[in-house]
Amino acid sequence: MFDGLIDGYTQSILIFAGINVIAAYSFFAPFKTGQVSIGQAGFMAVGAYASATLTQKFGIPFLIGLPVGALIAGVVGVVVGFPALRIKGIYLLLLTLGFSEIIQVVVLSWDYVGGAQGLRNIPFNAHTLDYVIVVIIVTITFFGRLERSSLGRAMDSIHQDETAAEVMGIDVVRLKLLAFGVGAMIAGLAGALYAHQATYIDSTTFNVMMSVEILTFVVVGGGSTFWGPAVGAAGLSLLPELLRSLRDWLELLPVEWTSFFPMNRIYDFLYRFLDFENAKRLIVYGIILIVMMIVRPDGLLTRDSVPHWRGARRKAMHA
Amino acid sequence: MIYQQLVNGLMLGASYALVAIGYTLIFGVLNLLYFAQGEVFMVGAFVGLYLVVGAGANIYGAILGAMVICGALGAVAVFVAVRPVAKDRPLAPLISTIGLTIILQNLAVYIFGGQQMAFPETMEQRLYRLGPVTVGSAQLFILTVAIALMVLLWLFIARTKLGRAIRATAENHETAALLGVDVDRVVLITFIIGSGIAGVAGVLDGIKNSNISPFMGLGAAVKGLIVMLLGGLGNVPGAMVAGLLLGMIEILSAAYIGTAERDLFSFLILILILLWRPTGLFGTRTVEQG
Repeated sequence: MFDGLIDGYTQSILIFAGINVIAAYSFFAPFKTGQVSIGQAGFMAVGAYASATLTQKFGIPFLIGLPVGALIAGVVGVVVGFPALRIKGIYLLLLTLGFSEIIQVVVLSWDYVGGAQGLRNIPFNAHTLDYVIVVIIVTITFFGRLERSSLGRAMDSIHQDETAAEVMGIDVVRLKLLAFGVGAMIAGLAGALYAHQATYIDSTTFNVMMSVEILTFVVVGGGSTFWGPAVGAAGLSLLPELLRSLRDWLELLPVEWTSFFPMNRIYDFLYRFLDFENAKRLIVYGIILIVMMIVRPDGLLTRDSVPHWRGARRKAMHA
Repeated sequence: MIYQQLVNGLMLGASYALVAIGYTLIFGVLNLLYFAQGEVFMVGAFVGLYLVVGAGANIYGAILGAMVICGALGAVAVFVAVRPVAKDRPLAPLISTIGLTIILQNLAVYIFGGQQMAFPETMEQRLYRLGPVTVGSAQLFILTVAIALMVLLWLFIARTKLGRAIRATAENHETAALLGVDVDRVVLITFIIGSGIAGVAGVLDGIKNSNISPFMGLGAAVKGLIVMLLGGLGNVPGAMVAGLLLGMIEILSAAYIGTAERDLFSFLILILILLWRPTGLFGTRTVEQG
């Protein structure tokens, strides 16, 4: 879709940011019913390994491998979702963590999928960006409609108070399982897209830190509204790149502005600081996480901010 | 053979237990999954390395230094990532301490580089034969320090006034405050103690494995979590026993079943405990939110 419009580097940045957005929604689905998971990378691994095995070992086209991988991840999600029904809070965090660690051990010791060497030579999909965009549009539309549907409101009520929801006649078990399974399926999509972009995956690709990152996307973006995960994931994945480009902007400043004290010192400091290697960028990322939680513990977008915009627009239309 | 394996397991378990004690102490007073605990462990190892190589300290100096610096790090964590963050939202302090985790790990990568570093030899290696078991002097040292630390901590929690204040805070913040406990101060002290112990565990791990890396924290963090759960959330003696137990289970399964299954076993234990006995082997107060 964008051939020739953007260079390969930008394209790969956008693809991985897009995959992060999809992964963020995989966390958002169970979170809507109050289930907090730090195992989403485990479901990504299932989707990635399942689809890559199909395309690489059986020559099945990616267009089929992608949904099949997602479906397998979804089935695994429902299986994990059953025990997850009984527990909540920190216990659920630990259960999902344990699950994703088990997936890691399994792919590490299963020689058919590459074992410790990892799965190599996965067929490269040249149109990943198009796929990512389509999946994101479908996902956001889905969650946008869900938010205003009775199903979505039922899920929100489970999040608020499970007992009250049950008393109101909501089938808590079915909805929680559904949300967990849908989340796992979306994670499977993200994993399959990742595998056919990176063309190489191993047992450490989808580790705990990735699950933790997915969690931070949603909490930073705002977990109470359906735009939150997209904003958080896109923002936090593109932020390092934006920080990098700040330096180019700095160079555009006229020399006269920065040649005298103390501006020259400030300029030098900023210039050196913005020379971002990975470690420094991640340090800034960590600082931003802490500051965000102090300033906006509910995330960037909350229910208050979104309807406010909508109301403003309606008013503008009537005026 | 089996005795030798049991001793090895004890050795492994001692370091699991030390990391888990910090987790469980902090979870006890704050209901917080303190994610940075593994990175504090890593910082401890690097402080130890730096003190031995850079400042020429002996092993006692390294352990003491790591304890002090990691304790200070615990205090910094409280002021930076715990106190300013809203307490009524369970995920906010989790994320802010995850931010701290990322900062610490990458600070270490930035300063020391991403590779493994050799931990210096700090004591002459002698072998002792105790009946059917052979123990190296380093191993004996690690075990002694770890057990001494656990006994001291247990005495502190069980016998001192401050220890009682920590237990009261863990039971219920409001009640403890009404009874005259300065809850904020107790939380601060708990973080300092938990982090200091993790720092010592880091140095001991450096001695045991003779190399350290900025990425050693994650594995320790995950194993620490399992041990915390196994011992019962917030249960300090439980974490001690569970740590030793998990170490032995891992070593025995590696020796008699296979090394790949070793991690599988610990995670299966985690899940079985979650499903059938979420209060851990030794009980805990009930916890609803996390």
